[in-house]
Amino acid sequence: MGWLIDLLPLPYTDAVVVLGAAVLGVAAGVLGALAVLPGRSLVGDALAHSALPGVAIAFLATGAKDPASLLAGAAIAGLVGALMMVGIERSSRIRPDAAIGVVLSSFFSLGIVLLTYISGTGDAQQAGLESYLFGQAAGLLERDVAVMAAVAAAAIACVAIALRPLKTALFDREFAAAAGLPVRVLELATTALLVVAIVLGLRAVGAILMVAMLIVPTVAARQLTSRLAVLLPLAGLIGAGVGVTGALLSSRAEVPTGPVIVLTGTAVVLAAVLLAPARGVVWRAARRRREGRAARVSGVLVDLETALHAGPPPTPAELAMAGARPPREVRRGVRDLDRAGMIERDGDRLRLSERGAAAAHRLLDERRLWSAWLEHGWRLDPGDAREPDPRDLRGSLGDELTDRLIAMAEGRA
Amino acid sequence: MSDALAIVLTAGLTATACALLGPFLVLRRVALMGDAVSHAVLPGIVAAFLIFQTRAPLAVVLGAAVFAVLCVLAIEALRATGLVASDAAIGLVFPALFALGVLGIHRYADDIHLDLDSTIYGEIAFTPFRVLEIGDVALIRSVVVMGAVVTVNLLLVALLWKELKVTSFDPEYARTVGVSPTVLSRLLLIAVAVTAVTAFEAVGAILVVTLLIVPAAAAYLLTDRLVAMVAIAVAIGWVSAVAGYAGAMRIDASIAGAMGLVAAAVFALALLGSPRHGLVPRAVQRARRRRALTRAAAAAAEG
Repeated sequence: MGWLIDLLPLPYTDAVVVLGAAVLGVAAGVLGALAVLPGRSLVGDALAHSALPGVAIAFLATGAKDPASLLAGAAIAGLVGALMMVGIERSSRIRPDAAIGVVLSSFFSLGIVLLTYISGTGDAQQAGLESYLFGQAAGLLERDVAVMAAVAAAAIACVAIALRPLKTALFDREFAAAAGLPVRVLELATTALLVVAIVLGLRAVGAILMVAMLIVPTVAARQLTSRLAVLLPLAGLIGAGVGVTGALLSSRAEVPTGPVIVLTGTAVVLAAVLLAPARGVVWRAARRRREGRAARVSGVLVDLETALHAGPPPTPAELAMAGARPPREVRRGVRDLDRAGMIERDGDRLRLSERGAAAAHRLLDERRLWSAWLEHGWRLDPGDAREPDPRDLRGSLGDELTDRLIAMAEGRA
Repeated sequence: MSDALAIVLTAGLTATACALLGPFLVLRRVALMGDAVSHAVLPGIVAAFLIFQTRAPLAVVLGAAVFAVLCVLAIEALRATGLVASDAAIGLVFPALFALGVLGIHRYADDIHLDLDSTIYGEIAFTPFRVLEIGDVALIRSVVVMGAVVTVNLLLVALLWKELKVTSFDPEYARTVGVSPTVLSRLLLIAVAVTAVTAFEAVGAILVVTLLIVPAAAAYLLTDRLVAMVAIAVAIGWVSAVAGYAGAMRIDASIAGAMGLVAAAVFALALLGSPRHGLVPRAVQRARRRRALTRAAAAAAEG
């Protein structure tokens, strides 16, 4: 671990924090996916709250504020809470979010009752609990990071080895049970791994902010891939990136590390949700606009061709009337057609240019062919079950079938 | 009004306000909205302190309410993209707002010592000391405030009963009959945000979170009818308030914590003993069926 810290061009304490954030990010990213994907994103929240009675009981049992035993108490209570959560969910109609909520509230209430009992017995300083809620990244020691790295590596190795059965157990419980997989054991194991990740995070970013560290990488990675085998390492990578960036930013600005890491993660998720190729909000809006525009342009083009066929060149207003379209839509369509050089203007009145006429004919042929397919297609036997592409029916069906289709539509066959 | 009465009445009214909304949260799978709000109000509290330079409850509640509404609307917007599940959306928004609040405290409020435990997140034991004087009459402030919140929630739920019901169970159908699930969802969440914030100040955040989820979840185990679910949740809330207070007095522990534990115990009882969904009745039924089968098999073998 030492050489890695020496390798970083940072002051020693910063290097330790950055390394710790990276380890935590990888572990939270990979293990968090196991909670987020089956709809238990807020497990971290419940476990963080269940740590409270664990710490209180550990304090009552040992009578000392020894960090190791308090952390062990937190871990055991977290595990018990997690088991109760899974048990409630499995044995009743209560769904994951409510099960999480019930466990969270019950454990936290118990924790508060125990704490008032502890302060009643005379020890007013309630075992230094704040640091477990808010985290103290700056207090990380090299030894802590080494322990975190070892535990995280072991947890990730477990996930890698059991990837296939885990995947089945998480996403298709019925099938997994039917296939004889030990679903309960796998569920128990993933929950235990999750508890490990959260206890690791307790000291670095604090219990409450750990919730975000479990969710951010998976949601961001999900925007980029839908394959679990890609998503898990990607989530680990994003987690590490977020951890390192946040830690560096916070040491630069001299503010608490946990919150900065969380806000960095939020920025990453927002970017992924908005901008991710194919799935992002902006991306989808742009595609919808493109498609809307194409539909508008071709609609106005066909209307114009029909109107010209029937009488004198129309004005845009007449065109809107004839095609039963909102005037605004027609005006926009005309503008786009004009830009594409498909229209000639004659004062107010519109004509098609040569290019426009060719495009209109192509469109009309396409439409005729498509309605022929809808009406007579069942009589053809295209040889495969795929739906043909409406915009290129000839290409999808091949010349021979297309010609037969045209013959059918014209009543020749 | 005696102290005990003031505390139990405040808790009972808070439980009623929460139980009117909680069942819808449980049915819509956003049970943890209250918990999210309890963390997300932190930056609002810091901002209120910075702007108004006071820890007066009205300013704090105002600041908190702004961020609570912001939080639920952000969650709803994220969920509405269809890219993020409700629970993940909750878990993304509230830590971000909480982080913002922690940074705010660090930057501006470190030395003014914002006492997070009691002044902000409330403490039900102080209820009897917060008095509202109207003319000659001294009223317990929390009782008045929570009474008003109960009235508003009751009106909201009664007026929008059909709409809330249909959007909770079948959003697609609701859309086709002209009820917008998005609008209803936003209304409900804003009501939750405002209820939670006003109740934080009266009884403390953790009890509010508990009262929103646990009675509703227990009621969900006991009935299949929405109207009964709400009524049972209200009843469980009052039982928790009364028994919790008595228990806390007996063992000299946190009143809010004891009330939460009673609610949890009621949930455990429902989980085990609910006539239709409980573990014990179901196990008994299974055993009886198995015995009947063996007997039938034995009879068949003899005959």
